[in-house]
Amino acid sequence: MAPAASASLSSIKKSAVARDNRVADRSELFDERFLKTLEHLHMVSRKVFAGNIRAERRTRKVGSGIEFADHRTYSRGDDFRYIDWNLYGRLDKMLLRLFEEEEDLYIYILVDVSDSMAIGSPLPKLHYAMQVAAALTYVGLANLDRVAIIPFADRIIDRLPPSRGKNRIHRVFEFLRSCDLGGKTELAGCMKDFVAQNKRRGLAVVISDFYDPEGFEQGINTLRYNKFEPFVLQVYDKREAEPQLHGDLALVDCETGDTREVTVSKSLLEQYTKAHEAYCKELEAYCTKYALPFFRTHTSIPFDQLVLKIFRSGGFLR
Amino acid sequence: MSLLGPIPLAIWAWIAFGAAALAIGAYVIKMRRRRFEVPFSTLWKRVLEQKDANSLWKQLKRLMSLLLILGILAIVLIAALDPTLGAVDRKARSVVVLFDASASMKAMDGDEAGKQSRLDAAKQRTKALIDSMGGGDLAMIMKVDGQATPMSRFTSDGPVLNKVVDGITASDTPADLTRALGAAADALRDRPNPLIVVVSDGAFPEAQLGLVSWDAGKPVPATDPSAKATSAEWNAKNLAAIDLSNVDVRYLPVGRRSDNVGIVAFNVRRYIANKAAYEVYIEVQNFGQEPAHRQLALYNGDTAVDVKRIDLAPGQRIKQIYAKLPGSADNKLRASLRPLEGAGGSDSFALDDQAFALLPARKKQKVLMVTEDNLFLEGALLVYDNVDPTKVTPAEYTARPTVADGMDVVIFDEFTPDVMPPAPASLLFFHPTGPNSPFKERGNLAFPRITEIDEGHPVMRWVTLSDVYMDKSAVFAPDPKKGESTIAYSVRDPIIVAKRDGRRKVLAFGFSLPSEGRDAGTDLPMRVAFPMLLVNTLDWFAGDQTDLLTTYSTGTRERVPLDGVVGATEAEVKGPDGSLTKTPIIDGLATFYGARVGYYDVTAKDAKGNPMAQIELAANLASPAESDIAPSTELTLGGQQLEPPEAFAITRSKKLWIYLVLLAMALIVMEWVTYHRRITV
Repeated sequence: MAPAASASLSSIKKSAVARDNRVADRSELFDERFLKTLEHLHMVSRKVFAGNIRAERRTRKVGSGIEFADHRTYSRGDDFRYIDWNLYGRLDKMLLRLFEEEEDLYIYILVDVSDSMAIGSPLPKLHYAMQVAAALTYVGLANLDRVAIIPFADRIIDRLPPSRGKNRIHRVFEFLRSCDLGGKTELAGCMKDFVAQNKRRGLAVVISDFYDPEGFEQGINTLRYNKFEPFVLQVYDKREAEPQLHGDLALVDCETGDTREVTVSKSLLEQYTKAHEAYCKELEAYCTKYALPFFRTHTSIPFDQLVLKIFRSGGFLR
Repeated sequence: MSLLGPIPLAIWAWIAFGAAALAIGAYVIKMRRRRFEVPFSTLWKRVLEQKDANSLWKQLKRLMSLLLILGILAIVLIAALDPTLGAVDRKARSVVVLFDASASMKAMDGDEAGKQSRLDAAKQRTKALIDSMGGGDLAMIMKVDGQATPMSRFTSDGPVLNKVVDGITASDTPADLTRALGAAADALRDRPNPLIVVVSDGAFPEAQLGLVSWDAGKPVPATDPSAKATSAEWNAKNLAAIDLSNVDVRYLPVGRRSDNVGIVAFNVRRYIANKAAYEVYIEVQNFGQEPAHRQLALYNGDTAVDVKRIDLAPGQRIKQIYAKLPGSADNKLRASLRPLEGAGGSDSFALDDQAFALLPARKKQKVLMVTEDNLFLEGALLVYDNVDPTKVTPAEYTARPTVADGMDVVIFDEFTPDVMPPAPASLLFFHPTGPNSPFKERGNLAFPRITEIDEGHPVMRWVTLSDVYMDKSAVFAPDPKKGESTIAYSVRDPIIVAKRDGRRKVLAFGFSLPSEGRDAGTDLPMRVAFPMLLVNTLDWFAGDQTDLLTTYSTGTRERVPLDGVVGATEAEVKGPDGSLTKTPIIDGLATFYGARVGYYDVTAKDAKGNPMAQIELAANLASPAESDIAPSTELTLGGQQLEPPEAFAITRSKKLWIYLVLLAMALIVMEWVTYHRRITV
């Protein structure tokens, strides 16, 4: 490694360590007050979504449910009881009736814990993401869904296995407090590992800033292609969207260590803000295109407001 | 355009090279940038890639920034060379204005009403002259009084020159035109079209007006015996003369009236025999064209000693001597002229209407005689009323040497004590002997005769000892390195010697005075010289010099003795206006220069600031040339009559440095703005 690159990396490590002191301290993240807020959110969610069937989520999986879902061509070995004889009479084709299978919903909360998530002031994006993850988990657990938490960065860092019942929330807090942090963002690889490790399909809530140099499409596509229901939650810091920089600077990527010398002018800042907005819009357009729930928030918005917004818009609870 | 700057081109080139190298270096050296962490540099990369599409323009802007800095540097360096537009105009002149600020310029005849001084009128004329200067003309103002003082450098800045002229005040000294012309000629050397303008009333001594040479001729060769005298004469004249060849000298006269009566001499002295009394000498002259009437008053302190009316014909000079005036406690004398009412009573020059003088200080000395009864010595001292004598015998002195404490003078007659009186008491010995003798002895001489005396020594003033009889005398071996000197020899043997020992003075005679029971014999006490010798000795001890002058003319540099100064190199001079200045002391003589009329106090102090020696002096104008205030409408210098200055030719000149500096400042501001607005980065 060239000496310059070595020096650059060492400075990055130093900054990551310095940042860790602030970010790693998650002892105050889930306190009594937070728990009360979660309980409040749960109550609100029940009120908002009254009438919905708890723990009986219709999935896209077809099976032994009672509600008709689709037809498919009969193949040898299929149960004769599900052959649609009316259609056979009219069309002279053997078609099998498919029903939506009713089963427990699996919710996978995928939290980005890469180095870029450690940035943010006064609250790092990571802390914000963890609070949102905890809130969604709590509501999921309370709804008797099976909720798993998977922190990731350049790999799947850890895994809290799916569990049900809101009495599990303290285990969730403990997991979020103690999970490892850091690394580069590699969505594609992580999602590939995730689908390989989790055969039960379900809702995959991805909480991240989606700052992946390789792009976000491949990672989300992996979820889609494997029948997961991606739920995209983008978290960013206002200062990274509209940085207050001026003068001659050496910009260092906190994940890769890439250094770029730049003289920041007003016009450059405007261009950057536009580029950041365009990137976010790109993600939003992608989600809209594939009818994926998408939420974008910055860390200045209280997490409970965001969670309520998610509930109101639907998609997370049905 | 011409470059008139004082910086040599080679140095300028080095500075320019160095500054340009620094500027380029500053652009080449990579600036250490502040590091800033970003979460997603890909976004910045996108933005910068888009911006880098204009990288050529970016580089060009950076190059433009460098060129701008180099341009600013070039402008500043060119400004340092003081470029001038039009200064090469051949009509542009270099002018030295010799502004007369001598005493006569205080005459109140600048206008008809007599409310404006000549000095004010001269200022107006000088300012008019400055205002008429062309843009390429350069002028320097030089004040002329007893000294020649440049008040400005050569400049074409009219307001600056006018301000300098406004600040000039007249002194109380005569003008030294020769010195001023020399300084002006030196200042104008190698300058184009040199011009000297003398703004004055023309009150200069004739001797000064002749010391000018208009042609730079060569000395007459001295090889030819017949031409030797001519050569010597030429050299004597021209070496002292001011060379004004190729210099145009013009005269700008000021002044209207000539009616003035002034005191041209005023002095006072004590009588040698009776120092309590004194006589005063006054000379008064009427410089006007009409008979004048004045009241002449003489004051001792605030007491009027004499007041009389004097009538003077045109040009008449009268001398007044006031003899045998009784002394008083106050040693300050003042003579005053007061115009009388009626015709011949006007006077437009007040400075010479008063004159000041000081009586030399007089102190009664306490003298201790250590002698057996010696009638000659005691008798001689008793006739001198300026001493307070006491007598003890050698045995009494030996028993109680403290008897000499507080004495000014101790006389040892045929006795050399073991314990000397404490300093600064001065000592007079008659025939000192033994190891305690103040001077080393190298033998005895029988029947010596005084063959040579040091006439310059104060003790030997007005004294003749050529045929004094002595039957024997000790011969001293004075050491000049210790400040010991011989004041009387018998052929080549010192028999009367003196020395200074710090503030103490010591005098020793090698022979004894005749007395009862003493085998030595001399007829010196029977001579007139003996009391004179004693008086001189006591005066020398006291620091009194009968011929000491305490009254001087203003504008002259004098050396005055400061008695008893040891180790001091400078004295403090307190002027009539209370101002304090320093003056050097060399060999016990302080340099005195009086710029103002009045009383001065010269004091030498030791390292602790205690006064060591002090003398009061008076300074008067005492210059008939200055008191003769009749203005000269024409001035002849070195046989050539000076013309009034012609109007200056209109020349153009623009000093470009100020514009260049302004341009450089504007460019710096532009660079600053464009940099901070990120236009040139």
